Amino acid sequence: MASAYNPIYTDVPEKDVFALHFLQTLSNLRTQNSFSSPDNKTSDRVKKIKKAAYVSMARAAGATNRLWSRSLLHQAAKRNNKNVRFLRRKRRVTWLMRRRSNRGDPIEDVAAERLRNLVPGGGGMETSKLMEETAHYIKCLSMQVKVMQCLVDGLSPK
Amino acid sequence: MDLSVLERVKWLQQQQMVSPEFFEILGSDGREELKRVESYLGNNNDEWQSFRHYETIDGCISRTSSFQMEQVKNNEENRATALQHKRKTEGKTEKIENKKNKKIKTEDETESSMKGKSNMSNSETSSEIQKRDYIHVRARRGEATDRHSLAERARREKLSKKMKCLQDIVPGCNKVTGKAGMLDEIINYVQSLQQQVEFLSMKLSVLNPELDYHINELSTKQFQACFTDLPEAVSKQSMMVDASSFPLQHQESLDYSVINSIQTTTLGSKDQTSSGWEIHSQSLYNNLRTDSDSSFFSLK
Repeated sequence: MASAYNPIYTDVPEKDVFALHFLQTLSNLRTQNSFSSPDNKTSDRVKKIKKAAYVSMARAAGATNRLWSRSLLHQAAKRNNKNVRFLRRKRRVTWLMRRRSNRGDPIEDVAAERLRNLVPGGGGMETSKLMEETAHYIKCLSMQVKVMQCLVDGLSPK
Repeated sequence: MDLSVLERVKWLQQQQMVSPEFFEILGSDGREELKRVESYLGNNNDEWQSFRHYETIDGCISRTSSFQMEQVKNNEENRATALQHKRKTEGKTEKIENKKNKKIKTEDETESSMKGKSNMSNSETSSEIQKRDYIHVRARRGEATDRHSLAERARREKLSKKMKCLQDIVPGCNKVTGKAGMLDEIINYVQSLQQQVEFLSMKLSVLNPELDYHINELSTKQFQACFTDLPEAVSKQSMMVDASSFPLQHQESLDYSVINSIQTTTLGSKDQTSSGWEIHSQSLYNNLRTDSDSSFFSLK
């Protein structure tokens, strides 16, 4: 991948890393399913696979380096009621809220709100930081989509 | 842009007199100030030369040199506050509608900002001159002189830079202009990507049910093997890579050492129970490596 000059640091690892992580999580998913009762409805399975996809993406993209990946993993862990073990920066909530109340550009703020809802971990970030995270998130998402597409192509009956 | 300003100032330096047009335009106040500028230029030629070697010269010589928050923080802050004092003493300037005046204004700005910078590192005598020069600098035309608005401006520029990067990443953003449209495009793109993930995971869930039947056979083998092992009765359509104890529920931080070992063993595993699967997995990996951009994006 050619790397042009980018003030945002968005280097995303190659497909292999994503593929490896995804396959690992999928296999773990399967081992777990075998031990619990394999009474799988389609929706549950879909949800599990989707969650596995996101988690593996977050791990592959450098789990602790990026805010969105960190919050993704944290959400996933919370649903399983497990404690997340990696370090978590203290959220400077008050400072951020104060700044946000001062900001006045309505067009930008509305769209930024929507973006915050989409990108995981977007609630605690300022708009410029949000842009960086979005860029990295988009790159990783597209990589993950490619990996999954390849898998589906490989597995589908010919 | 930087060079041109430098050149312009040099030109001013060389000219001992400013052309009479400027005086008409500026009015009497301007004349005095310009004279001050010239005198200062004449005195501090050497200082000027030394500026070239400062790294942050780019920060100084530009239209927005007055307030750039991205670079050396302390210096910039001092300089900014100094500039602001200047501007406050002047108050709102008279609005002169002429391009040439804009040039002069920026030159004044840059000069004073340059001098501000030098004065940080130099002695008191220059600071006196600096005080003199503070007065003649005008605020940018048509904009407020608050500290807050300057900060706003800097923040907005940072944002626009990042939006430009996003524009490169998101395909199809070039046609839309303006922040709102671009942001909408970006939001749509993220949403479409997430929908693609969901769609593909649905497809995968459909393709994988036959795997579940094979899992029971594999249970003992999985935990005995420390590297990727191959289930014997795996059909061609199913695929499985065993990882050594990496449970989904323990959301530990990434352990690259484990990953690396697994990777090496996948690619160079010695024990094969069924070579057919090996070949299949290798081919899948090759598929992943060499696959060009999928047709998904063309379907957009």
